[in-house]
Amino acid sequence: MAIARRADPADLVVLAPAEEAPRAGRRRLRRWLPIGIGLGLAALMVVVAAAAPLIAPLSPSVQFSDAVLKGPGAVDRHLLGTDEFGRDILSRIVWGARISLEVGLASVLFACVLGIPLGIYAGYRGAWAEVTIMRATDMLMAFPTLLLALIIVTALGGTLTNEILAIGVALTPNFVRLARSLTLTIREQDYVLAARALGAGQLRVMRRHVFPNALYALVVVATLYIATAIRTEASLSFLGLGIPPPTPSWGNILSEGRQYIKCCPWITTFSGVAIMVAVLAFNLVGDALRDLLDPRLRGE
Amino acid sequence: MLPYALRRLLIAVPMLLGAMSIVFFAMRILPGDPCLAMMGDQATTEALADCARNLGLHRPLAIQYVDYLWRSVQLDFGHSLRQGYPVSAYIARMFPHTFVLVVASALVAALVGVPIGIVSALKRRNPLVDYPLRVFALLGLSMPVFWLGILLLIVFSLHLDVFPLIGGGDLDTVIAMLGSGEVFTYPGDFLAAVGDVLYHLALPALALGLTLAATVSRLARSAMLEVISQDFIRTARAKGQGERAVVYKHALRNMLVPLLTIIGIFVAIALTGTVLTETVFTRPGLGKMLVDAIGARDYPLAQGAITVFTMIIIVVNLVVDLLYAVVDPRITYR
Repeated sequence: MAIARRADPADLVVLAPAEEAPRAGRRRLRRWLPIGIGLGLAALMVVVAAAAPLIAPLSPSVQFSDAVLKGPGAVDRHLLGTDEFGRDILSRIVWGARISLEVGLASVLFACVLGIPLGIYAGYRGAWAEVTIMRATDMLMAFPTLLLALIIVTALGGTLTNEILAIGVALTPNFVRLARSLTLTIREQDYVLAARALGAGQLRVMRRHVFPNALYALVVVATLYIATAIRTEASLSFLGLGIPPPTPSWGNILSEGRQYIKCCPWITTFSGVAIMVAVLAFNLVGDALRDLLDPRLRGE
Repeated sequence: MLPYALRRLLIAVPMLLGAMSIVFFAMRILPGDPCLAMMGDQATTEALADCARNLGLHRPLAIQYVDYLWRSVQLDFGHSLRQGYPVSAYIARMFPHTFVLVVASALVAALVGVPIGIVSALKRRNPLVDYPLRVFALLGLSMPVFWLGILLLIVFSLHLDVFPLIGGGDLDTVIAMLGSGEVFTYPGDFLAAVGDVLYHLALPALALGLTLAATVSRLARSAMLEVISQDFIRTARAKGQGERAVVYKHALRNMLVPLLTIIGIFVAIALTGTVLTETVFTRPGLGKMLVDAIGARDYPLAQGAITVFTMIIIVVNLVVDLLYAVVDPRITYR
């Protein structure tokens, strides 16, 4: 016999309005604070990178022979000190933001442009297309991002374009896999069935129905991969395989400063802080967007 | 279980071959002639031709490719261009250094990351506990291992002078004594060698372990959150079991399957991390060998190191997938 029980008002814990307001406020703060900090830091990085010629106090490549390896503030014009050639660390970090952001955004864009159509096609068509694309993806996924980028950049040489290409290719399998798994869910939806019943072709369904519905999840993950791309670029430059010196990339500055960590730790410290803040910014934005838009993606 | 294991094994073989092919062709399109890099600009045409013949580079690419695959599965990666010794000998010598680093950093990551992840999940409604732990995880994820390594070197090696700046310790002695049985004859010497290894291992393991702990704590947190939202946890609570018993008797045990995923992801990240960590700490190992080999254009050595890295990752992922099926019989291959 089914037991029917009506809800008793006593079952419900009703908070007094005065008690409810601060709790809702806290919840709102908890939700928006990380995204606020992340967006703020990411916006700061974009502004610094875009306005580097205006913001940087000095040229990143000018050598001041009277200020070699000076600490922060030791010479008025060098707020964060100088390196072994007397170059201004602050100016180099400001210009380095350009390289990091360019590589971060362009490589993720490359991975999206290559990976998303392949993933959607694999997921929608199935059969041999899916098998071929996914096995190739599995092969590339056997390499960790840095290792694959390292192989490609070694083969092609360390230039900005090659680094973007290397990191982009290394990130592509992640987008293929995600786009495919999203497509597998979307293609079973009623609106896809309706579109097909109305005579829409496969390409149209993929372009007009699957892609827009997968987009928000892909954007969230892309934001997180910008952080990975920035870290990978810094790692490649640190290993001496990225953009060659004297171009001021953060990894280069850190790598060059390594020899002077005993006398002049500020070189490695400030460039490391820059890398960490940039990666943190995109991690925060990506995490917060994921929680806001689709908590199911937490496992991705 | 058996069909699943067989199918998973069959998938791993072409994956391995494909990954090795990528390594082979990437190394073949490298700019510059390996013989020219080895012998210098002064080398005569005859000498270069001899060198190419000795290295087998005069043969058609397809023959070289098949030869490389056949030799690689026998762990024969040719000879180093610089020193002329077999690459497999270098790999055999460097592998233990990388292995102990990965194991030690895994211990640090597990001891720091798993408890943080669990506490963060269980106390997620307490912002005073959850917030600092989540911030730790985010900072760990954002902090590059090479920077953390340099910071540790500045503090503990340069200023406090408690740990060495470079080197990997006397691991060769430890291995030799274990192999020859001298460990029982000279236990004092053995312990001294082990102590030296640990002394050199502490900072690299801490640097790599702490950055990995961030990933581990996030995975452990989501694994715990997933488990405690299950019906059997509600049932355990409903029958009046205390929170401690619910966590220790029910939740922790069922975290095992999601936690297995960590091992697979962990090995891939840790191996990548060793490339950077060994370079920062000037520590011998496969990662530093790879970077040095690329810098010196020693292609067979670089190719051997990358192939071994890939083999390890594919085999570990295979083992993890097979373990899944053992731990959770509901898992089948689709």
